[in-house]
Amino acid sequence: MTDAKDHDAHAVTKVTPPGRVVALTGADGFLGRNLIGLLEDDDRVSRIVALDVERPATAGRKTRFYKVDLTQPRVDARLAEIFASEQVDTLLHMAFLSSPTHASAWAHELESVGTLHVLNACRERPVHKFVLWSHTILYGASPRNPNFLPETHPLRGHSESRFLRDKIEAEQVVASFARSSPGTLVTVLRLAPILGPTVKNYLTRYLGRSMVPTVMGFDPLMQFLHEVDALAAFKLAVMRDIPGVFNIVGDGVLPLSTVIQLTGRLGLPIPHPVMYPIVNALWTAQLSEAPPTFVDYARWLCVADGDKALRELKFRPAFTTREAVLDYAHSQRMRDAHLLRTTP
Amino acid sequence: MARKVLGNDPFGGDSPKPATASAKKAAPPAKKSPAATKGKKTSPPHPLSVNEEGQEKKKKPALTEEAPAAAASEAPPSPASPSPSVEKAVGAEVEEPSLESVIAQLDALLDQARDPAESRPLLDRLASRLKALTRPEEERALGPATAAAPVLDDEPFDAARELLGSDYYLRRWGQTAIRDRSEEVDDFGLDPEYARRWQPVWDLLYDRWWRVEVEGIENVPTSGRVALVANHSGAIPLDGIMLATALRKEHPGARPLRWLAEDFIFHFPFAGAYLNRLGAVRACQENAERLLRKDACLALFPEGVKGIAKPFRERYQLQRFGRGGHIKLAIRTGTPIIPVTIVGAEETYPMLFQSGRLSKMLGLPFVPITPTFPLLGPLGLAGLPARWKIVFGEPMAMDAYRPEQSEDIVLVNRLNEKLRETIQGTLDRLLRARQSVFKG
Repeated sequence: MTDAKDHDAHAVTKVTPPGRVVALTGADGFLGRNLIGLLEDDDRVSRIVALDVERPATAGRKTRFYKVDLTQPRVDARLAEIFASEQVDTLLHMAFLSSPTHASAWAHELESVGTLHVLNACRERPVHKFVLWSHTILYGASPRNPNFLPETHPLRGHSESRFLRDKIEAEQVVASFARSSPGTLVTVLRLAPILGPTVKNYLTRYLGRSMVPTVMGFDPLMQFLHEVDALAAFKLAVMRDIPGVFNIVGDGVLPLSTVIQLTGRLGLPIPHPVMYPIVNALWTAQLSEAPPTFVDYARWLCVADGDKALRELKFRPAFTTREAVLDYAHSQRMRDAHLLRTTP
Repeated sequence: MARKVLGNDPFGGDSPKPATASAKKAAPPAKKSPAATKGKKTSPPHPLSVNEEGQEKKKKPALTEEAPAAAASEAPPSPASPSPSVEKAVGAEVEEPSLESVIAQLDALLDQARDPAESRPLLDRLASRLKALTRPEEERALGPATAAAPVLDDEPFDAARELLGSDYYLRRWGQTAIRDRSEEVDDFGLDPEYARRWQPVWDLLYDRWWRVEVEGIENVPTSGRVALVANHSGAIPLDGIMLATALRKEHPGARPLRWLAEDFIFHFPFAGAYLNRLGAVRACQENAERLLRKDACLALFPEGVKGIAKPFRERYQLQRFGRGGHIKLAIRTGTPIIPVTIVGAEETYPMLFQSGRLSKMLGLPFVPITPTFPLLGPLGLAGLPARWKIVFGEPMAMDAYRPEQSEDIVLVNRLNEKLRETIQGTLDRLLRARQSVFKG
């Protein structure tokens, strides 16, 4: 792509690259790490700028790592500096937690305030494209949800959940940034819960239990996204300039009970009036994967409609929900038998 | 024989329970086997006695499943241990791969055994080597008569081992819980296997209990999107399921039907999950539109909860037809509407009164008290054997309107009223013609 900053003072050392310069925040997360690996092999990307507190292990020849902590107060100036000196044109903002944490104050600083910092840096030194990692669970599980939630559906994730609230706030500030900065293409990818052979999150831990607690009398339809499809979607968003909000989901749905059966586990139905206090107690004791607000997702629907991504982004998932579950189940069995090392 | 199976299992240690149980079983035959006897002959005179053997059987944390545990049973005082000589021992053993030497090494090793974790891999290796060495001998010694025995033994024993684990029963239980379910559902959660399993029940109610009579089913096209708009009646709404049964049994194309169910059943445990598997879909514009765009045959009950929650004295009086959402939908998607009239469901579940307190407690819009429900429990769901009649009317084509006209409130209201009058008129005609509630 053409770049207007050819006359940069550092042109000797930093020749304007023929391909894209992609910066990633949260580069050492699951998505960041694997995406760096993918982009390293892609000739259309000339440089990768990894921003995180730890250097990702996949960083190769094209990757430049900057130690950046988004929870620090003056980080926006430093980010703008990096964007300018590296001539970043595409920014993937992926510095989010994939699983709920007890350190909610820190998570708030990282996700909600961190996004503000990143956007401030983008205002100071505009980028060509901004891609945000978001989640379909932000729509919230509810018995009033239509079976397939469109992108226009309001984000009604549980208001008591810090995990969801921080991410909804991040989406909101990104949406207002998109309105106020017409020069930047803003793509928001709302990913369905990710399953796969190597990914590790609250969901894989939940399904990895020998007895998987479910809510008695409820069997919601679940929708998952294979980890490869998740990475493919981000790569697509990097390569194609298509602004907008997209649900990135696997095809098909499965009832939770079938998911548990496919993973070879056993459902443990618990009546919902006692489920919430139990999960609350377990969460407080750090024995559960998620806070009680996540019980809603085991009761009601939260399935998103991926038609828009297919239509506009031309994203077609390679794995259906069922295949994602089976792929996860195979490697989980290997892990159970200690044939496969548990990835961090 | 048995221990052959055990020795093969690389993960025996992960499931201590089956392993221990099997080790106990394996021990007695092992003593008879040639390997064990040979081992006994060659082993140095240990202060090894019967009670120690018994002890061995009890502890065996490290040895458990190694077949040679059998062989070890005459040697080892403590069932595990690291030793500096271990590596040397293995080296020596590699050069002289005779059974006697292996057993001697094993003996020596076990004598010095201290730490189970460290000696474990070595023991495993020795065990497999020992097994490889002993197998042909064992088979030879057993002779032709019993030669087949190990082969036969294999399977039953393996199965038994599985049975011993509590895991096994739990897994079986888990499978039983969803035995009548298919592994895949459609986009809206219809489980074909589950629906098929319930068909006999609906057929029984349809043919014998309510003796449903169908009129005008030819009005339903065999393909293409179509909306069936019906009156909603009976305190326990099985009219959606009966409509689906009627189409499946009587329609030439056996058209599958999806019907829209009220929100509240999805708030509530069991009802929502089960009806969803049978083909009900939560009533909302998005769902209906998505289904119709896929050319489905969709049943709608525009009266909603008001239709089923009305008292018995108001039977067959159509309530307000929503806000015309179904008409808007039909115009927008160009779907013909077929007015459907159902008679008989009101008398099936005559609602005597509603329990306001109970419904508040349960969070339901209404809790029906009928002559049979909840007095007879789930059986009461079958209701009274009133005779049902389902009439499919002339289709109302919506092709004449443009999709934008779905926002024309006047037009929508006019069409809605026309549809409502058609159904009410058919209801009145059928009720006049009806001789008896139960005989039809």
